[in-house]
Order: sequence, then structure tokens, then C-alpha cells
Amino acid sequence: MSKSVLFSFDQILKKCFQSLENNQKVWNSVLAECKPLMVSLGNLEEQLRAFQKVQIANTPLHTFPDLHQRLHFKLLQAVDIVLGKLTDKMCSLQSVRDAISNQVSGAFQLYEQNIGTLDLATCTQRSAVAPSIADMLEWLQDAERYYRQQFLRRKNVLLTLRADDLSLLESAPKRWESLETLSGEESISDTLFKVSFFIESQ
Amino acid sequence: IVSVFSPVGLQGSETTTPGRKSQSAVTGSARKVKDNAADWHNLILKWDRLNDEGSTMANKIVNLGFNKSSQKELQVMMAGQDTSASSNSENAFENSRELEEECDKLLSVVDKMTRIVSKMEKLVSSEKGIIDLETFQYGTGGRQTPLFQTWPTSQFADVSSKLYEAYKQELTLKRAILQELAHTTNPDLSMVYLSCWLYQPYTDDRAKLLLEGLLLETGHRPI
Repeated sequence: MSKSVLFSFDQILKKCFQSLENNQKVWNSVLAECKPLMVSLGNLEEQLRAFQKVQIANTPLHTFPDLHQRLHFKLLQAVDIVLGKLTDKMCSLQSVRDAISNQVSGAFQLYEQNIGTLDLATCTQRSAVAPSIADMLEWLQDAERYYRQQFLRRKNVLLTLRADDLSLLESAPKRWESLETLSGEESISDTLFKVSFFIESQ
Repeated sequence: IVSVFSPVGLQGSETTTPGRKSQSAVTGSARKVKDNAADWHNLILKWDRLNDEGSTMANKIVNLGFNKSSQKELQVMMAGQDTSASSNSENAFENSRELEEECDKLLSVVDKMTRIVSKMEKLVSSEKGIIDLETFQYGTGGRQTPLFQTWPTSQFADVSSKLYEAYKQELTLKRAILQELAHTTNPDLSMVYLSCWLYQPYTDDRAKLLLEGLLLETGHRPI
């Protein structure tokens, strides 16, 4: 009886880690797509700053009608377009977070349902190819927390951005970069290494 | 009563039902208008490509111009020492040569854009000619049924003329930028020149909508 519980629990855990592996790739590729958008944002901030400092009426361009308003409009429009694209990327990141959260909470639900069978001894038992259940659940929880926090922090950076606040626009690329914690990424990869035999096993 | 004497064969457009023109049935004025719409689309595509090319060159010119001015500062600083004087003057020469090259390239881009705008001007006069012909045939009321979906023939001329004015103004701006770019010492002003080139303040969403409307009306885009 406990063997079949253990077996199906193992299957759930495998699915979780497989999903984690796929979603890690998706997450990283979306972040890579955000990089050039952040660069564009920085460029536009520079252009807006220069634009504010220049009095077009005192330049050789003073003969051009409405140039000041028109250029301002175009620059703000360009910022809006970049922010729109970043919002789309955030939706992709949200899907990753949700997928991982769902999988992990499914695993924990199963654990709670079978708490009778999955006693301390069973859960702390590890083998050559399989880490202990306790360890694996811990790692899954860590991973879920990591993506949840990352998503919230990144969303926070974007929510504060507005085309008319240049100081926020200027600091945005740096703040975005600073959220990339090498240790966080590495711990996800480490986890996947540790369970690689387990995932492949029957 | 206006005589139905028509020097240009318009029989095709009289017999087909309004608003429903298959490719083969478009003749006479409608054919010309449809071809003009395709020309507008292609000219604007070419313009956009040239704009991107020019933007890269303009950026280089600004950077080289800054190198030049910072090199001058360096030369003044190192006037007392003659250790790297020769390599400095070599760099300065290389810089100037590159700067001149990029300016020439940008000039040729602006020349190509000038040719595009003069082709646009021809499209405007072509549309005017079509209206004149229609007035001659139908009187000042114009034709009873639209050439395509809903637009009166005058609307094609109106759209062409608005597009032409926008791009003509844009070209004048680009000429001004070309003249000033290489020797502007104010970095903020240089940045504003680059923004003006890249973001094209005079060809705005309205112009895009006019073109899309034109393509939809003439059947180049499916409705």
C-alpha cells in the first residue's frame, strides 16, 4: 500500500522538477528579451533629458513649426511602446511563476493527504540516485519562493515607471539588473543537477 | 449636360458594380489611382529604410565629432610633451577622414530621400490630373459612384497631398540636421538632432493612418 503511494508521489515530484526545468529555460529567455528593451529605455531617457535641456527656439531648428511639441510627443510615444512590450514580457514571467506555484502546491497537497504513509523515516530516506523526499520538497519550496519573489520585485520596478518621470526611467535599467542574483539562479540549477538521476529513473 | 466624350478608355469602370472591383476589371482612372497607392506604399517603405541607415550614420558622426573635440583637448594637454605627438596627429587625421566619409554617406542618404519626395510630388500631380479629368467628364459634381469602396475621387488627392506635405517637411528637417550635425559642440543639441532624425516628428500616426486608409480603399489590403 505504502509502496504505491510512494510511487505516485515520486511521479508527482518528477513532474514538478521537469516543469521546473522547462520553466527555468522560459524564464531566462524572457529575461534575455527584456535586456534590449531596458537598453532602449535608457536611451530614451537620455534623449528626453537632452531634449529638456535644449531650447529649440535658440537653435538652428527654430524655423520648424511645432517642432518642440512634436518631438516631445514622439519621444513619449516611444517610451510608451517600450513599456508596453515590457508589460507583455511580465505576463510571460507571471505564467512561469503560476505554473511553478501550481505544480509545487499540488505536490504539497499530495504529501499532506498521505502524511500517514509518508512518515519521517520514509521522507528522510535517500538513495544513490534519489534524494530524500524531505530534501526534494524543500528544494521545490525554495524554487517556488525564488520565482515568486523575483516576479514581484521585477513587477514593482516596472509599475513605478512613467514616461514623464525621468529620474525613475534613468534608474530603471540599473534596478532591473540588480535583481539578477547569480546565487538565486545557481541554486535553481544546482537543485536540477541534484535531482537529475531521480528524474531520469523509472 | 456634359458630353460622354472620353479621350481615356473608362468603359470598364462604368459597367462594373460600385464597390466591387476584381483585379482585371480595374481600368482607367481606377487603375491609375490603385497604382499610385502602391507607389505611395513602396516609396514610404524605401524612406523608412533610408531613415534607419541615416540614423546609424548620424550616430557615428556625433561620436566621431566628440572624439575629435576630446582629441583636440588631449593635444592641447600634451602640447608640452612630444612623446606621442605623432600618433595623436595620426589618430586625429584618421578621425577627420572617417568623419568626412560618414558625412558624405549621410548626404547621399538625404539625396535619395530628396528623390523620393520628388516622386511623391509627381503622385500628387497625377491625382490632381485624375480629378481634372473627372470634372471634365462629369462636371463639378464628380462621378456618381466611387471608384472603389466609398471615397470620392478628391479624397485620393487630399490624402496624397497631406502625405507629400508631411514628407516634404520631414526632408527639410533632415537637411537642416545634416548641415548642423558634424560641427555641433553642444552634446545635448546633438542628441536632439539625432532624436529628430530617428523619430521623425512630422511623419506621425496620422500619416500612417492616411496610408493604411488609402491601401484599404484601393484593395491593396484586405478589409
